[in-house]
Amino acid sequence: MDVEAKRIMALSISKLYSLRTQRGGLRLHRSLLLSMTMRAARDIYHTAQLLRDAEEEQVVPCAPDAAPEEPMEISKDSPQSLTPKEVAMKPQEPKETLEEDKENRCASERHSRKRSVKTALETDSLPLKKAKMETDEEKQHLQGEVFRTNNGNSCRQAETLTAFPTNRTIVAC
Amino acid sequence: LTAGGGGNDVQWCFSQVKGAIDDDVAEADIISTVEFNHSGELLATGDKGGRVVIFQQETENKSQPQCRSEYNVYSTFQSHEPEFDYLKSLEIEEKINKIRWLPQKNAAQFLLSTNDKTIKLWKISERDKRPEGYNLKEEDGRYRDAATITTLRVPVFRPMDLMVEASPRRVFANAHTYHINSISVNSDNETYLSADDLRINLWHLEITDRSFNIVDIKPANMEELTEVITAAEFHPHQCNTFVYSSSKGTIRLCDMRASALCDKHSKLFEEPEDPSNRSFFSEIISSISDVKFSHNGRYMMTRDYLSVKIWDLNMENRPVETYQVHEYLRSKLCSLYENDCIFDKFECCWNGNDSVVMTGSYNNFFRMLDRTQRRDVTLEASRESCKPRQVLKPRRVCAGGKRKKDEISVDSLDFNKKILHTAWHPQENIIAVATTNNLYIFQEKVN
Repeated sequence: MDVEAKRIMALSISKLYSLRTQRGGLRLHRSLLLSMTMRAARDIYHTAQLLRDAEEEQVVPCAPDAAPEEPMEISKDSPQSLTPKEVAMKPQEPKETLEEDKENRCASERHSRKRSVKTALETDSLPLKKAKMETDEEKQHLQGEVFRTNNGNSCRQAETLTAFPTNRTIVAC
Repeated sequence: LTAGGGGNDVQWCFSQVKGAIDDDVAEADIISTVEFNHSGELLATGDKGGRVVIFQQETENKSQPQCRSEYNVYSTFQSHEPEFDYLKSLEIEEKINKIRWLPQKNAAQFLLSTNDKTIKLWKISERDKRPEGYNLKEEDGRYRDAATITTLRVPVFRPMDLMVEASPRRVFANAHTYHINSISVNSDNETYLSADDLRINLWHLEITDRSFNIVDIKPANMEELTEVITAAEFHPHQCNTFVYSSSKGTIRLCDMRASALCDKHSKLFEEPEDPSNRSFFSEIISSISDVKFSHNGRYMMTRDYLSVKIWDLNMENRPVETYQVHEYLRSKLCSLYENDCIFDKFECCWNGNDSVVMTGSYNNFFRMLDRTQRRDVTLEASRESCKPRQVLKPRRVCAGGKRKKDEISVDSLDFNKKILHTAWHPQENIIAVATTNNLYIFQEKVN
């Protein structure tokens, strides 16, 4: 069940991203449905993952807890963030869990995010450039997460950013 | 031809097919909407390239019942062009999402056509006479030398070859932030509504520079967004009543007399979900893709991914009738999610006397659901059944197990061949069925 859930989750994420490049602008209805499906799959997948991690804790000495938690939190909020408005209004919590070198970037983003939130509410416009920047970042973490959980071995954390080709292969099935 | 009974005592025959024959479909030629006018004499199609093509029914030769009335091209025009929103860096597609005819008031015909952002009112008029005998101009338009003019005459109208002109009379723009999915002309023939994902606006046909927002479901915080508007329609007789459907499978009926902003519905139509059918894709397949009032105004029909439901306007807690369109797809939802087919938005339509409803499916199949006889039939729009007056054979899909002769298995269905748009003549048993880029016209078999 969780294998299926993971597949659907990865599929949903790739579909959400491909929506951005579609002609005619982002389709709110479709991105809403994709987000909901993604969230449903993610919830089931994470439940199964947490159960499995709880079992593995006794077996694998290399502590997996800290690393997977961070991207999990990010991805928890990312589906909500994946419509343009929502990206602009992304909550600040996930960013706080990033690695240190990103926190500085975060601070300025948070500030500019606030500004763009106000603008967005006033004009209903999508700060597209901003969104793209954020989602590229998210994408790295999400794909990293998928790769990591594939192996179930978070000692490979350093390799996640180079794991794209493999990940894309999985997602593009 | 008799008025609208349909269903299984009616045999459907091929009448005509419009559009290119070759399999290589140009994207611009993909039909995106089909609509008969109120008399059924005109049939309009819109396509992805922003064009509108109108077909006209040839006047029947009543003395020869065998002679079937055909639809021939009446007018073709470019309704919408691709645009670019510089502020948001977004391209606006020219695809025609909907066409709605206005009831005819005079010699000219009027229709509303819309893309994602802009609605246009088009006037289609005939010209079969032209003035001749100008004093100052030659017949070809060149001006005559004033010195040569020695007499004065009154120009007269003389017959000419019929010319059909389409001219844009109104452009209703800049009122929708999100993508327009519906337009509906009010029975008062003065106003109409346009609906996008989150808002519904009310327009006056004469006024283009403003509209009234009558429904707004946009949450203050977009992260709390849980549903969008998927379709909206005015009641056929009550000019104060309209309905809108949502991506959550609910329909809200609103009364414009209750308040200026109709956020609070008068009625909420919702059927509780069957928990045994719950899956990852329950949300998606419960999203309503079309809502249509019956001609008599007592019922409305909704289409979601797998079924058609008929609702009595006086009963909100469940539909009075439910028809499965292609239940065999329920076990294939994951694959349909992968290939995006699960997001296909099928439309549905009523026949003239509300006894039969029709909707499309895959493999160029379409379904006729007879409400009175409680029977249904699956037919196919195919180039192989294109001989004049050829009767359409019912098709059957084998869901599993042993496939009988003449049945087609679910795995053999072509999901690229989908019938999303269908229309039924308001009075006669003539139907228009749009495949990807062809328009099929079928008629009742006349003995």
